[in-house]
Amino acid sequence: MPGKINNLLNLLTMKNLTQEELDLLQAEEAETKEEIAKLLAPTAIKIKNVTVSFKSKKGLYTALEDISLDIKKGEIISLIGHSGCGKSTLMNTISGMVNPTSGEVIANEQVVKGPGPDRGIVFQNYSLLPWLTVFQNIYEAVDSSFKNISKEEKKAIVEKNLKMVNLWEHQHKLPGHLSGGMKQRVAIARAFAINPKILLLDEPFGALDALTKSAMHIELLKLWNLDNRDKTIVMVTHDIEEAIFLSDRVVVLNNGPASTIKEIVDIPLERPRNKKEIVHHPKYKEIHDKLLSLLIDKFSISDY
Amino acid sequence: MKNTFIKNTIGQIVSFAASMLLLCLIWQGITILTESEIPGPIATWQVAKEMFAEPFYDYGPNDKGIGLQLTASLWRVFLGFGIGSLIAIPLGILMGSSKFIMRLFDPIVQILRPVSPLAWFPLGLLAFKAAAGATIFIITITSLWPTLINTSFGVVHIPEDHKNVSKAFGFSKFKYLTKILIPYTLPHMITGLRLSIGIAWMVIVAGEMLSGGSGIGFFVWDSWNGLSLEKILVAILIIGSVGLLLDKFFNTLKMAFAWENK
Repeated sequence: MPGKINNLLNLLTMKNLTQEELDLLQAEEAETKEEIAKLLAPTAIKIKNVTVSFKSKKGLYTALEDISLDIKKGEIISLIGHSGCGKSTLMNTISGMVNPTSGEVIANEQVVKGPGPDRGIVFQNYSLLPWLTVFQNIYEAVDSSFKNISKEEKKAIVEKNLKMVNLWEHQHKLPGHLSGGMKQRVAIARAFAINPKILLLDEPFGALDALTKSAMHIELLKLWNLDNRDKTIVMVTHDIEEAIFLSDRVVVLNNGPASTIKEIVDIPLERPRNKKEIVHHPKYKEIHDKLLSLLIDKFSISDY
Repeated sequence: MKNTFIKNTIGQIVSFAASMLLLCLIWQGITILTESEIPGPIATWQVAKEMFAEPFYDYGPNDKGIGLQLTASLWRVFLGFGIGSLIAIPLGILMGSSKFIMRLFDPIVQILRPVSPLAWFPLGLLAFKAAAGATIFIITITSLWPTLINTSFGVVHIPEDHKNVSKAFGFSKFKYLTKILIPYTLPHMITGLRLSIGIAWMVIVAGEMLSGGSGIGFFVWDSWNGLSLEKILVAILIIGSVGLLLDKFFNTLKMAFAWENK
């Protein structure tokens, strides 16, 4: 940034600017604005010294110990770690499904006391109600979240969101008749339909095959883009490539019990990202290696 | 597709006919062994034809057609079973939803459930001062347990995933009840109802034997007093067939509401 500002000053002191220089100036100004906006973005989620303990048969089990994390509005954050490291628990403290034993979570400027429609959740196993059609599954969520609008308006919201994930023609089907990818799209449409400021995804693509997964990543980013990148997304995953492709920052958790944050890795790859090109980016390889080393300590059979 | 369906149906009819033939053969064997002390299928068939020729005759309180007796019994069963279900379903939902209520009621259920219907009869007589009320009372109190237990079992086992959907999207209590609890529990509930109606149908015969007056149970007892074993055998076959039909009805109902198969 200081370099850019110098550049700017140099240009400003010149009297006659060529068109080319003017364009450059404008482009840089726009870029700087964007960066400043990012830095100034309000905090959407503030996790303050959160500790979560569960009572178990063997006594008190501490899943998370003293975790603090600030997430900005419009950011996409991945929580990554080994199974049982408490990443889902951490996310559930944001959703309000789990109450911290000590500390607090502030989401949308309010202390989280329980689940609410300002935070949409996409569950690990879709969690669609099997006796309701695709349409009804979304409608019931919309009906619960928007109290003051008419039935027709609610139906229009369902229609808009189902069309967004290209499932409008499947609206009368029961979830049992859908493929895994389609179910996941319904679950995402349901979470988007209640128009939450924060979207929480719990290993959303874990059960999908690699090809469907790839398509869903792009679908998710498309939806996020359509919404002016306004929604804050927190995602739990154990897939490094997925985390890099989607996130602004990747939060790596230590193994449980009593997990803490091991490291927060920035992903400074510009958006919109391209699945095919991004892997050739030198930065990508660097981040990938870094995350891999953070998560795995043995890379070859000779390491044993 | 259509061909296999027809084949299946024909197969079912043929095996059913074979099964009935086997029953008649065993029956005939017993008749021969008892030297016609117990009437055989053919003798019984003769009596049955007379009974079915005029099922709804009414020659005063002690002489009614088999059709009238049957409808009287069915009416009592549905009344008792209906009252029982109206108690069992809401109570089952409450017991399944709240650990406290479960702990409170479960011991009562466990103690009362194994009690024979006949043991309740005197209490029914005392409470209702009439045999008819007592019969319905014993059907109610003995047929409500399977529905109660199955309903509460269903509610207890609602998957955490479904409950989380309700929490995450802020379902109201009413929406939770109608969109999650009842749809999930319905197949369990209907299984309970199916077992309950089976019990109710068993109890009615015993109840009417005690209470007298009318009904298929009374008919069996009356035929015994009149020493018409053929009539008793016809009644047994009718009781069995109606029981089968009631069971089939609830099975069909269960299939219609089982969302797993859809």
